[in-house]
Amino acid sequence: MNVNAVSDVFRRVLENPEVSADSDFFVMGGDSLLATRVLSAIARASGVELDFDDFLDAPTPSALAKKIASQA
Amino acid sequence: MSVVVVGAGLAGLTAAAGLAARGVEVTVFEARERVGGRTHGIEVAPGAWVDAGAAYLGDRHTALTALLAELDLKTTPTTMTGASRFALGGDDGRTRAGRFPPLSAVALGELFDALDELDRGVRAEAPWLSADAARLDRLTAAEWAREHLRHPDARLFFPLFLGEMMAADPADVSVLHLAFYLRSGGGIRYLNAFAGGAQENRIDGGAHQVCRRLAAGLGDRVRLGEPVRAIHQDGDGVTVVAATGSVRARAAVVAVPPTLADTIDHRPGLPVPRSGARTAPGCAVKVHLVYPAPAWREQGLSGWSVNARGPLLSTVDDSPADGGVGVLTGFVTGREAHRYAALPAAEQREQAFAQAARLFPGLPEPIGCHVTDWVHEDYSRGCYAALFGPGDWSRLGPRLAVPHQRVHWAGTETSTEFFGLMEGAIRSGHRVAAEINAMYRWRDIHD
Ligand SMILES: Cc1cc2nc3c(=O)[nH]c(=O)nc-3n(C[C@H](O)[C@H](O)[C@H](O)COP(=O)(O)OP(=O)(O)OC[C@H]3O[C@@H](n4cnc5c(N)ncnc54)[C@H](O)[C@@H]3O)c2cc1C
Repeated sequence: MNVNAVSDVFRRVLENPEVSADSDFFVMGGDSLLATRVLSAIARASGVELDFDDFLDAPTPSALAKKIASQA
Repeated sequence: MSVVVVGAGLAGLTAAAGLAARGVEVTVFEARERVGGRTHGIEVAPGAWVDAGAAYLGDRHTALTALLAELDLKTTPTTMTGASRFALGGDDGRTRAGRFPPLSAVALGELFDALDELDRGVRAEAPWLSADAARLDRLTAAEWAREHLRHPDARLFFPLFLGEMMAADPADVSVLHLAFYLRSGGGIRYLNAFAGGAQENRIDGGAHQVCRRLAAGLGDRVRLGEPVRAIHQDGDGVTVVAATGSVRARAAVVAVPPTLADTIDHRPGLPVPRSGARTAPGCAVKVHLVYPAPAWREQGLSGWSVNARGPLLSTVDDSPADGGVGVLTGFVTGREAHRYAALPAAEQREQAFAQAARLFPGLPEPIGCHVTDWVHEDYSRGCYAALFGPGDWSRLGPRLAVPHQRVHWAGTETSTEFFGLMEGAIRSGHRVAAEINAMYRWRDIHD
C-alpha cells in the first residue's frame, strides 16, 4: 500500500478530504475506534496486520506506508 | 385551551413547559411520587449527587444544552486520565493505556466497518423506508453477528459494545433498529466517544435537576402519584382518568415509554398499538460504589474498565467534581442485568465489591453501595430505552409520532433524532408542543 492509498483510507474513515501525507490521524480527530477501521482496511488491502501501538507509533500516511512496506 | 400531559419525564415536562409558555392551561399527571422518570439522582454523600439513570451528553445534544442554559445548570467534563483495566479473558484484568481493549484491532475494525455500513444504509427519519428494510427488520442483531463476524474477538466484543451503548442483548433488537439507533445518535464514533462524543459531559450536580427545575416552574400543575389508567375521547375533547379523579381537556399528550402507553385504556382504541410482542425493555442496572476518595487515580488508573464477565460489564469514574468522595459506576446490561437483578441485595453487593476489588487491587471497602434496578421499575419498563425487535419498525414505526385524534405522543422513543437519549426526549417535547399549538390554535381562530 502506498502513501496515497493510506491517505484515502484516512479520508474515508475521518470523513475529511483534507488529509496529506503528513497528517497525524489522532490530531485530525481520529480516536481508537476509528483507528481500528484504518487497521482493518490496511489488513484487507495489503494483508499486513498492524496493531494499535504500531499506529500510535506511525500516525501519518507516510509513516504508516513505510511500516506496511517493512512488514509486507 | 387546556391540555393534559401524561408523564413527568423530560419529554412530558418539556412539552408542558412549552405549552404553558404559550398560555395553555396544562395539567401533568405523573404516576410516581417524583418527577424525572429515567433521570434520577442519588445523594451519595452530603451534597454529592450521582446519576442513577441518564448521565451523559455531548455537544450535538443541542436541545438539552439550551435547556440547561435556560435552567441555569452547568455541565462538568467526564475527562478520563490514566490507564484502563480490561478483563476480557479468564484473568482478573490487564492494564492498558487509553480506552482501547487488548483485542485484535483488525477484528474490531471489521466490526465497526460493518456497523458503519449499516448506519449509512438507513433512513433515520423513516427507517421502515430504508433500502432492504424488510429484510433488516426480520433479522436480529444476534443473527447478523453470527453471519458477519468471523473473528472471535469481534464476536466477544459485539455484545459488550451493544450492552454499553443501548443496554441491549443482541437477540432482542432487529438489525434495522441497530442501524437506526446508530444513525439517530450520530454514528458509532460519536455514540462511543467520551471526549468529542455523546459522553463528553455530565450535568453538574445530577441530571435529575433538569426535571426538578422544569416542575418547579410548573408548580401545582404537576400532580404526583397519579398513574393514568384511561383516556376517552369524543368530538370535542378528552377525559383523562388518573388515580384520584379525571380531568377534561381539549387534547392529551402521552409522554411515557411505548409499552406503558399500551397499558392505558384508549377509547376509541388505537389503530396500531405502541409496542409489539417483540418490543423488549432495554436492560440496565447501575451500581454506584462509593469510596472515601477516587484512589484508583493514584495508581494511574482512570476507573474505566471493560469486562467479559459480570456483573459489572464496564466501570467508569463518576466522582462528583468537588473533589470529595470517589464514585465508581458499574454498568450491568443486557442478559447479565436480568441475572443480577434477580439476586438478593446482599449478594448483589458482594458480587460488585468482589469484582471491583479484583479490577482495582488495593481499593478499600466501599463506604456506600447503591444498586438501581431499572429492569423492575414498573413505570419505566425499559432502560435506557425500548428496544425494537423484529418487525417493530415496519409495524409501529410509521405511527410512532402520528396523533391518535386528540391524543399526541411524546417521549424519547417517538424521536427519530437521538432516539433513546435525553436529547430525543426533549426534542419530542418541543415537537409535540408546537404540533398542538398549531393544530388547536388554528381551530380556535377558525371555528
Ligand atoms: C441507567 C440509564 C442510563 C441512561 N444513560 C443515558 C445517558 O447517559 N444519556 C442520555 O442522554 N440518556 C440516557 N438514558 C436514557 C434517558 O434517561 C431517557 O432517554 C430519557 O430520560 C427518557 O425521557 P422520557 O420523558 O421520554 O421518558 P421517561 O423518563 O420514562 O418519562 C416517562 C414518565 O412517565 C411516567 N409514567 C409512566 N406511566 C405512566 C402512567 N400510566 N401515568 C402517568 N405517568 C406515567 C413515568 O413515571 C415517568 O416519569 C439512560 C437511561 C437509564 C435508565
